[in-house]
Amino acid sequence: MHMASIPKFSTRLNFNQPLRAVENHAQITCSALAHGLLTSSNNHMTKTSHVLRLIDQTEEGLSNTGKFGRFGGVFVPETLVTCLDKLAAEFNFILRDSQFQSELAVALRDYVGRETPLYFAERLTDYYKNSKGEGPDIYLKREDLNHDGAHKMNNAIAQAMLAKRMGRKSVVAATGAGQHGVATAAACAKLSLDCSIFMGNVDEERQSSNVLRMKHLGARVKSVEGTFKDATSEAIRDWVGDLDNSYYLAGTAVGPHPCPSMVREFQSVIGKETRKQAIEKWGGKPDVLVACVGSGSNALGMFHEFVRDEEVRLIGVEAAGTGIDSGKHSATLSKGDIGVYHGAMSYLLQDDEGQIIGPHSIGVGLEYPGVSPELSFLKDIGRAEIYTVTDEEALHAYAVLCRLEGIFPALEAAHALAYLGKLCPALPNGTKVVVNCSGRGDKDADRVFKYQQQMGLATF
Amino acid sequence: MAFSSSSSSSTACRAQTDLSSHLRSPSLLPRKFNRVTPFRASNSRCPTVVCKFTRMAATAVDKELETAAEALQRPDSFGRFGKFGGKYVPETLMYALTELEAAFKSLATDYEFQKELEGILRDYVGRESPLYFAERLTDHYKRPDGKGPHIYLKREDLNHTGAHKINNAVAQALLAKRLGKKRIIAETGAGQHGVATATVCARFGLQCVIYMGAQDMERQSLNVFRMRLLGAEVRAVHSGTATLKDATSEAIRDWVTNVESTHYILGSVAGPHPYPMMVREFHAVIGKETRKQALEKWGGKPDVLVACVGGGSNAMGLFHEFVDDKDVRLIGVEAAGFGLDSGKHAATLTKGEIGVLHGAMSYLLQDEDGQIVEPHSISAGLDYPGVGPEHSFLKDIGRAEYYSITDEEALEAFKRLSRLEGIIPALETSHALAYLEKLCPTLPDGTKVVLNCSGRGDKDVQTAIKHLEL
Repeated sequence: MHMASIPKFSTRLNFNQPLRAVENHAQITCSALAHGLLTSSNNHMTKTSHVLRLIDQTEEGLSNTGKFGRFGGVFVPETLVTCLDKLAAEFNFILRDSQFQSELAVALRDYVGRETPLYFAERLTDYYKNSKGEGPDIYLKREDLNHDGAHKMNNAIAQAMLAKRMGRKSVVAATGAGQHGVATAAACAKLSLDCSIFMGNVDEERQSSNVLRMKHLGARVKSVEGTFKDATSEAIRDWVGDLDNSYYLAGTAVGPHPCPSMVREFQSVIGKETRKQAIEKWGGKPDVLVACVGSGSNALGMFHEFVRDEEVRLIGVEAAGTGIDSGKHSATLSKGDIGVYHGAMSYLLQDDEGQIIGPHSIGVGLEYPGVSPELSFLKDIGRAEIYTVTDEEALHAYAVLCRLEGIFPALEAAHALAYLGKLCPALPNGTKVVVNCSGRGDKDADRVFKYQQQMGLATF
Repeated sequence: MAFSSSSSSSTACRAQTDLSSHLRSPSLLPRKFNRVTPFRASNSRCPTVVCKFTRMAATAVDKELETAAEALQRPDSFGRFGKFGGKYVPETLMYALTELEAAFKSLATDYEFQKELEGILRDYVGRESPLYFAERLTDHYKRPDGKGPHIYLKREDLNHTGAHKINNAVAQALLAKRLGKKRIIAETGAGQHGVATATVCARFGLQCVIYMGAQDMERQSLNVFRMRLLGAEVRAVHSGTATLKDATSEAIRDWVTNVESTHYILGSVAGPHPYPMMVREFHAVIGKETRKQALEKWGGKPDVLVACVGGGSNAMGLFHEFVDDKDVRLIGVEAAGFGLDSGKHAATLTKGEIGVLHGAMSYLLQDEDGQIVEPHSISAGLDYPGVGPEHSFLKDIGRAEYYSITDEEALEAFKRLSRLEGIIPALETSHALAYLEKLCPTLPDGTKVVLNCSGRGDKDVQTAIKHLEL
């Protein structure tokens, strides 16, 4: 059991304190993984099926252990364990409950506006063609067309329905860019649940239009000193104070089990639709999936469906901020170390003393010092590839998509789009690339505006 | 004629052939439509595209046939809806308008064009938009005995760019490409239609010029930035009051000068024929989907349709499909601004008089000297002193009812939908929503009301916050 194996850490646990020392214990807790990696040969076939085996093992054990390999778990104060167990039980139940599923399906269709299109970006495809006119075919999964403009709503509406079903009266959540806050506020309004959203004051300034939207939707917006990570801590503290009536609506695939699994499950509709649409459009599967990674919800939502299809490349793109060596970035999987944060073991940005390093990105939604334990796992076993993109590159990609396709991508999604610049030249002609356009960029227009003015760039 | 490279270059040539053959055989004119049903969502279970042309028989004596005949003449071959509509334009534009009309009619039966448009509406715009049962709003309007109408929202707010405007912009851009035009012009008030036009021009690689009143540009600098990011040139108009009507006039002037190379994407069902008809047809997908979805959801038709009316495009888009269904009530809601008697409103159909504006005869807000009265509404999209000629016609024959709602009432409705359903509606749409307060108490239990949620309100959150003091 995850708790029993590391007893001396659970009682001393301060919620914000990541643990580096736990790595010593990692050797005890993840024998299968370590063993597998030590004995694997260079034979591709053995390695491939080994990866699949690890994935399958993890899935099977997930509901019991809450772990993805050595990542994940339930690193929480005792008070929360019962609550999380109840949540996990309820979640497992609704997965099989046809009434809940059909209600959710109707909400996703009529309220959220699913299914979202898989859009062939013709002009973008032409843009990335080489001098011989060859290049991959680029498709965008249009999560920007969801109600409220991002993939966040898929998860928010499902969890709000779950909260209502559990008899909770109020919902508490934390938000970075504000999209999860808006989605939660909207879902709560629809289901008449009381709603409190915690948001860092720095973020409130940068994404003020989202703050206004939350207020219009009837949510109480509570300001916290700092950014998303601080808002998350505050939200969890608030939740712990009223466990019977309050429901903590996790916006992304981090946190103690079952949060990462739940969020991934509710977001997986993205990947499921993509599979179906790919068959309709070209009679096959995507070859490459690209998604931006803040904490990992949109990436996992896209990847999860294809995790067992080893010929499908899974590419996550993190924020390199002002530069991967500048110290001002949010590239957790690329530059982080393993530790425990906000209830789960995962990669995170920490200094030598285990203190959290404040992340930075122009994509506010990517600014999180941790990352989903599942993505950490997928990276470790080599199933997912992780790269980074700077603020400048993301801004450029934003402008390119506007100009070529008439779509404003969220600055977060622009990171995934920016990676196409490095990816496409390496791909054979006709490779099917699907980029998760995880949100629309209306919220970022004035930031891009100011940035362009600052840079003295001609506004055409 | 060169078309920009695309997979449908062969279809472009085919349209060319159709167009020229059409022009070469004048005996095929005039045509009267029975029903033009060119646009269909791909996941619809309805049969494939049909378009019927019928010649009107001279012997129509039966009353039903007379009514049907009346309905068929929308518009007639001169672009008139009864006495409204027409083509009040300078001579230089006549050819362009005729060419446009011919192209439109030919493309209505062009399978490749329809398929391409359908694909774009589905994958780019995100159609079909849902017909959403607004449960909490319905409960809100239940009477103490628990009875009341059922309220459904047609979610045009979920479209790409956040309003119904794109349906028309996308189709007209495709049409312009077929006509070989490389340059697009449009007018815009608050910027929504401008952004929609700039969006489709970016998508199709067309040069784009947007005319915007200088006053409006100041108030909507973010929309100006968006249009520029999309690659459009935004030209300030300083004449008159430097607002929408002046921008429209300037756009028309540009079109007159550059008619060979340029297509004018008019944003609403106003303007000279064939625009009112064309824009209506491109938005008619809203009503068509609604009919199908109503059948799926409750096995019948809507009883009442409600939509806000500025120029009238979203309303015509919803109504058109049901105009011949006499058991379906059509309700249009205009902007009463500060109140109908304040003189600061945009309630053209309620308070206007007949005249000619921007190429069409219709109701319009004019003073005794026939000068245009500056309209006012808290919502920029309803802030138009004219109205589509077809709405004027439907009002005159009593087929549609028109009411008006003040700024205050609209703001209340904005707040109500946000709080009850978690949907922030555009302030324009809020006018239609506000009318539910007066409508619902009069409706029998179970009446099916479909309201066109024509746009999302993200653009209005600042304005509303100031007024609602949140």
